[in-house]
Amino acid sequence: MRWRPALAGLLFVCIADALELGTNSFAAEPPLPSPGFTAVFLRWVSVPKETNRLTVEVSGLSRDTLSALQAPEWAATNWPRLLAVFVEQPGTEPLSMLGEHRIESGLLRFVPAFPLEPGLRYRAVFDAGQLPGAPSTTAGKVTSILQIPVQRERSTTTVTQVYPSADVLPENLLKFYVHFSAPMSRGNIYEHIRLLNAANQPVNLPFLELAEELWSTDMLRLTLFIDPGRIKREVKPLEEIGPALVAGQRFTLLIGGNWKDANGHRMKHAFMKRFTVGPPDREPPDPQRWGYQAPPIRTREPLAIDLAEPLDSALALRMIHVVDESGRAVPGQPFLTERERIWKFLPQHSWKAGHYSLVVETTIEDLAGNNIGKPFEVDVFEGVSKRLERTTVKLPFELR
Amino acid sequence: MKTPSLLAASLGLALLAGAASAANWTAGMTEGKVALKSAGPITFGPDGILFIADTKSAAIVAIATGDTKAGAGKAVKVDGINTKVAALLGTAADQILIADLAVNPASQTPYLAVTRGRGAGATPVLVRVKGDGSLEVVSLDKVKHARADLPDAPVEGVQGDGKKQSNPRQESITDLAFLEDRVLVAGLSNEEFSSTLRAIPFPFQKIANGTSVEIYHGAHGKFETRSPIRTFVPFMVGKEPQLLAAYTCTPLVQFPISELKPGAKIKGKTIAELGNRNRPLDMIVYKKDGKDWLLLANSARGVMKITTDDMVNAESITTPVPGIKGTKYETIEAWKGVEQLDKLDANNALVIRKGEGDALNLESLPLP
Repeated sequence: MRWRPALAGLLFVCIADALELGTNSFAAEPPLPSPGFTAVFLRWVSVPKETNRLTVEVSGLSRDTLSALQAPEWAATNWPRLLAVFVEQPGTEPLSMLGEHRIESGLLRFVPAFPLEPGLRYRAVFDAGQLPGAPSTTAGKVTSILQIPVQRERSTTTVTQVYPSADVLPENLLKFYVHFSAPMSRGNIYEHIRLLNAANQPVNLPFLELAEELWSTDMLRLTLFIDPGRIKREVKPLEEIGPALVAGQRFTLLIGGNWKDANGHRMKHAFMKRFTVGPPDREPPDPQRWGYQAPPIRTREPLAIDLAEPLDSALALRMIHVVDESGRAVPGQPFLTERERIWKFLPQHSWKAGHYSLVVETTIEDLAGNNIGKPFEVDVFEGVSKRLERTTVKLPFELR
Repeated sequence: MKTPSLLAASLGLALLAGAASAANWTAGMTEGKVALKSAGPITFGPDGILFIADTKSAAIVAIATGDTKAGAGKAVKVDGINTKVAALLGTAADQILIADLAVNPASQTPYLAVTRGRGAGATPVLVRVKGDGSLEVVSLDKVKHARADLPDAPVEGVQGDGKKQSNPRQESITDLAFLEDRVLVAGLSNEEFSSTLRAIPFPFQKIANGTSVEIYHGAHGKFETRSPIRTFVPFMVGKEPQLLAAYTCTPLVQFPISELKPGAKIKGKTIAELGNRNRPLDMIVYKKDGKDWLLLANSARGVMKITTDDMVNAESITTPVPGIKGTKYETIEAWKGVEQLDKLDANNALVIRKGEGDALNLESLPLP
């Protein structure tokens, strides 16, 4: 098949659309306009209702040319040379951005695979010399540059809570949970977190710095483990440089204000949690020591359980359940008070008289990572056989 | 990250087993679009099958890349690979996170698990490096794939038939490896401090339960501790396949893979302690001068070359072991700033390491 696109002379017009993006700049190298020839337009078009989603459109190509671009002879590898979008990055060789070329509604379109990023400049280049059948002398490129405006900085995100919320924490504290008011950004987070000693000097490498970064799916909560090498006895880091937290001393957990949230805005302000360190806790939580306050029947008063010590906030909310006589879960909402020492349960329906049980998963942890029946560190040569193998503990109670 | 070649070569049985099922690796796969929510650690199995840990979906996804043509075995050098990946994805280099690097042993092609963006809406992308050093996004629109959802999916935060709430628990996958006919997956929860290692049979069954084991390592004193595994590698000691696992609290622990049974509590043997300020990042095993070596990249010491001489068949610790000084190692001074490590071929490693400024460079280096 032969095609004869009308390429002898083209009028190139470059239009940067008046998008809702603020300032658009454009640059073009149009050949001399020759009246009577086809006009080719290159423009950025925003995708309705989608932030920073734009496509590049080339209009004015003849029907023959468009057909040629859809013909099997036109190899997919030719597309980037004909029409491409580049991020303008000083000092680096331009690499065309991933996207899809389409012929639709009499237009040639390039649809970038990703939204364009605020603050970056993008250059769309259409090279007529690459059109099928174009003579090598065909005048060349039309360029349109689009600057995506920088977002106005809105520093509104804050740390809403750090657990454990107590002011005195055990020397072998295992983790902090840091809760944010809005989704945060991932990557190099440890630059923004410091543990300061009483002299306000940063403790060297107190945390387990995992590249995976232990976020909740919604990026609202970060789990921060204290380096277990500095908690566990008889491992090298503890022997070499000692524990991260030292009993009897004061420390501050500092979350820096330069940390950016998911929208790229810095935090409203830094956050500090000051606390004192107490002796290590090597005792497993013991549900037999828990007390409870029975709510009156025919009310929706919460059931209150005194856990005898603060427990891990996330696990206490997940691993303690209320079941009725037949073992069915009682619907309701658990919450913690008194610095995670009191577990409360607000039932969905009024309490009825009868027998209930509290079911506790033994993998629940206290602040030092001790499980029910199993301390964080087990002395392998004493009493291992006594270790609890059950997965739940049941505590019956009656409401009258 | 881990190639099964060493094991296959060393274990006649594995070779036979591999050959018997070689044609069936893609059995049960469906062709279509792969929906990834995230891309964490990656590793290759046989026939160009790539395993991707999708932490956000709590799943392992196997895709048949079809990339099985043997490569030219050329040296690899791509400077500023983070900038180049960023350009390809139309963004700035600081919006790119490279979670892992894996070399396809069938073609020697490097693959990168990349995340574009840093917020909740970050997009996972799989990128491969072609023979000429150019980058290509691996299309996941129409590809043969299979998926194993990790068991013990977290329970909802609200109990009974109460209102559903978003559940903050997530299990991050810290490493994975393919061994014979299983995918080994090490996980770390963002709530419980525990170590799970799962062996999921491949091809994935309809319900891929896998097996979950609790692994303890006797420290050199008398305390046994549970701790998450940071990185691991299957490795032959004599005729017994072993797993070498680097823990977050720095010991390097060995235990026999035959003990990986459902519900088992395994005690490993501490064979070395990396010591303070060492965050183990990645491990490979290789053969040189007739001996097996372990190469471990970590955050502080650079790359450590560790002899496997002392790694005789591991036994569970039943009596106190007085202060193990640890297996001998040598720090490879020239390999600075290594963040990702895999084996390119029998004689070369492939690394991503820090270059000038914020640049990350992909390069092949002769195995030390």
